[in-house]
Amino acid sequence: MGREVSESCVESLLIEMVSSYCNRFYADKPELAARRIEAIGYQVGHQLSERYTMERPRFIDHLEAIKFICKDFWSEIFKKQIDNLKTNHRGTFVLQDNRFRWLSRMSIESSPETTGSSQDGEDKAAQAMSMHLYFPCGIIRGALSNLGIPCAVSADISHLPACSFVIRIKA
Amino acid sequence: MIVCVAVVGHQNNPLYIQSFTEADDALKLHHVVHCSLDVVDERVNNPKKSGPMLNETYLGLLYPTENYKVYGYLTNTKVKFILVTTDLDVKDADVRNFFRRFHAAYVDAVSNPFHVPGKKITSRTFAERVSTIVKAFGLSSAG
Repeated sequence: MGREVSESCVESLLIEMVSSYCNRFYADKPELAARRIEAIGYQVGHQLSERYTMERPRFIDHLEAIKFICKDFWSEIFKKQIDNLKTNHRGTFVLQDNRFRWLSRMSIESSPETTGSSQDGEDKAAQAMSMHLYFPCGIIRGALSNLGIPCAVSADISHLPACSFVIRIKA
Repeated sequence: MIVCVAVVGHQNNPLYIQSFTEADDALKLHHVVHCSLDVVDERVNNPKKSGPMLNETYLGLLYPTENYKVYGYLTNTKVKFILVTTDLDVKDADVRNFFRRFHAAYVDAVSNPFHVPGKKITSRTFAERVSTIVKAFGLSSAG
């Protein structure tokens, strides 16, 4: 059997990775930090998809590969499946996870100051939160690219800890 | 006896190729592997012939030459594994088993964070593991 890693260790590592990139390496260039974090996720997804597709027949179309991501791939990483999958049948897929594991224990820092700055604080918190989503986006993109589906993935937080990932397949 | 194994990337770029013969015929074996890539493409693009085995990773016997039998395996990530053997009477189950173990070794090799995807596999551990798998091939049936 495969070796196991403590979940809290993984989460701490991810949080530390995001904070190192955002606050130390690229403190004044958040776009660059985001790109780097996404690239790490890409490599992880690339390698994981190779492993998790080992014992299965090849996928015939995009939908089958996306379903694989929603079901088996997600269960392997997060021990649960994606809760909702939507598609416009033209290459855009929305994967919704109602309780995304890597956000479930995160709290938005509410600033206790006046109403004027609370909006500001919320924006900051949302930005910090979105930094943590580049890594899972990269994982999805890496996995799909390795399966032969070039795509762009973005994440969207509606209300915590629900989270949706939008996959746009490049024609 | 297995004389050659190869891993070929999704753009038909060689990732790993190793022959297991005493004689100096590596070039010939590489040629055999090279030729087999067309057969893999043909199998995958015209899947009718395969019938019920549609989209299975194991592609079976690709083609027999005068001295060799060539078997193929195509992963979900479009990486091809090629096996060249001199045995005339090969059990399908043995070949399947071989590819399964070969694939597992490959997955472990590419999961190395220092491996660059799409580049040749230079890991010594991988080479050792492959030669162990090659040596074990067919032993179960030969007794």
